[in-house]
Amino acid sequence: MKLKNRGKLFFPLLLFLLATALYLSLVVGAVPTGRRDLCNFLFHGDHTFQTIFIDLRLSRALLAFLVGASLSLSGAILQGYFQNPMADPFVVGVSSGASFGAVLCLFLGIEASVLGLPLQNLFAFGSGLGIVSIVYLLSRRKFIFKVETLLLTGIASGALASALTSFLLFTRSDSFEQAVFWLLGSLALADWRQVSIILPYFLFSLLLAQWLAKDMNLLVMGDDVAQSLGCPVRRVRQAFLCLSTLLAAVSVSVSGIIGFAGLIVPHGVRILLGPDHKRLFFFSSLAGGIFLMFCDLLARTVLSPAELPIGIITAAVGAPFFIYLLHRRR
Amino acid sequence: MAILEVLNLRAGYGNGAVIDDICFSVERGQFITVLGPNGSGKSTLIKAVQGLLQDTSGKVHVEGHDLFRMSRRKVARMIAFVPQGYDLAFDYTVWEIVAMGRYVHQKRLSSFSAQDNRMMREVLDLLGVSHLRDKKIGQLSGGERQRVLIARALAQDTPLLFLDEPSAHLDLAYGLEIFRVVERLQREMKKTILCTEHNINLVIPYSQRLVFLKAGRIQAQGPPDALITRSWIKEVFGADVEIRENLHSGLPEISLIHRHPQKEEKGR
Repeated sequence: MKLKNRGKLFFPLLLFLLATALYLSLVVGAVPTGRRDLCNFLFHGDHTFQTIFIDLRLSRALLAFLVGASLSLSGAILQGYFQNPMADPFVVGVSSGASFGAVLCLFLGIEASVLGLPLQNLFAFGSGLGIVSIVYLLSRRKFIFKVETLLLTGIASGALASALTSFLLFTRSDSFEQAVFWLLGSLALADWRQVSIILPYFLFSLLLAQWLAKDMNLLVMGDDVAQSLGCPVRRVRQAFLCLSTLLAAVSVSVSGIIGFAGLIVPHGVRILLGPDHKRLFFFSSLAGGIFLMFCDLLARTVLSPAELPIGIITAAVGAPFFIYLLHRRR
Repeated sequence: MAILEVLNLRAGYGNGAVIDDICFSVERGQFITVLGPNGSGKSTLIKAVQGLLQDTSGKVHVEGHDLFRMSRRKVARMIAFVPQGYDLAFDYTVWEIVAMGRYVHQKRLSSFSAQDNRMMREVLDLLGVSHLRDKKIGQLSGGERQRVLIARALAQDTPLLFLDEPSAHLDLAYGLEIFRVVERLQREMKKTILCTEHNINLVIPYSQRLVFLKAGRIQAQGPPDALITRSWIKEVFGADVEIRENLHSGLPEISLIHRHPQKEEKGR
């Protein structure tokens, strides 16, 4: 009951932060614009900055939101899936795996699409799923996940995938920009096409995650107990693994690897609102989107007019947090 | 007709059978306890009977239906399970934990009906933990936590209730209290109880039937009067005991024989 009320307070706060992030994303940038320019554009039909506001900044802000929401939802799912609040798509190796798949597709020069899906997304999904399946099998002992095994296997597999990615990129002439994009993440290439790629995947995943949220509550009780409470564990696990991989893979294929973004937000939301996954999935998505919008603002402004890869910002915030969590467990 | 029938059950974790050749049946309303030393396969048995283990063969019938052909949802409406201990991956409140018992009666997206809420309040009252409903499960004592898990199992509203070593990790007084609670559920809610335990004296007053398990096989089964004998306890638990009559209940009770080496020497 108390937690529900906290949710009612939390929601307007998030909406306020979202509005703030959106406003800042629109006015801050290489071309100096201010509140007046935005007002003129919105209310007085002044089209001077239309391209900058709509095609550059709004699309980028939306992409940041969607990528952040996807990574955060993916992290919330993985944390429940592994019954471990330290999991996130980067830590368990999915992001690096997906990145390898996307780069492999680029390397092979395949630009075709199957049934409207760009093959690059399919490659990213396939190799992300491959990595997380390996991590899952290696870190499972008698149906229990050992935290250390999970984290180490995930991080090592991710490092291996990143090495392979770097190797492929090294053979290309534009290797530096490509490597920065794929390994450190960036939203600098944001446009409406990318927004339209990620949006349907994200909405589909959020709906399905909400649909299965009660099952996730049972799943974190352990497989035996979940089954005895009526949860079809095997099918639910398969669905969640595919969902979290899908979210991470699509995020990676539009923005490269943005590490640790899916770690902090679900964790914070759980502390504030409790571990019930119905609330957790929704609020993690919302808060994760806002979090990444602010990270992208930082990435754009810290070394302005140059841009930092956004993965540097998220790692600078997320990695210390990860270490803190690891030490608090003992 | 027996509510639960187990025939030639064999189960393990993928590398050989832990329990084998298990046959027993439970009458409606009975309290049956599986007794055995540590490592005899009690937990494996109570999980295998519900179809929780991958590597299982044999037959289990619940109210005449083949359990291994039922969906998890159907099984969860017949059998509720109180596991041994509780791992604290995430800190749910007591109310949220008990609510999980109602999931099996709900549609996926529906919220709690008036009946769900009433049922949850009832079981919390019945187990005397209503005052804890907004507490986090991690803040509770072992005995309180065990009661909450039993409340969740009751919220599932099933004819059968399984408990895996309910007194494990509990002090003597709490262990006794849990068995009193379970007996009340049998009496007042007409639950059929299947329970595992290693503490013999604790279960004698409450069980109508005992099953002795040793090294994964059933050694004997029957009413406590017939099974609580020196020779059976020696055979199953490997301990020398004497059987006495409990001063208060008049029921049989085991008492350990302690051999003091010095006394023996004097005797010679």
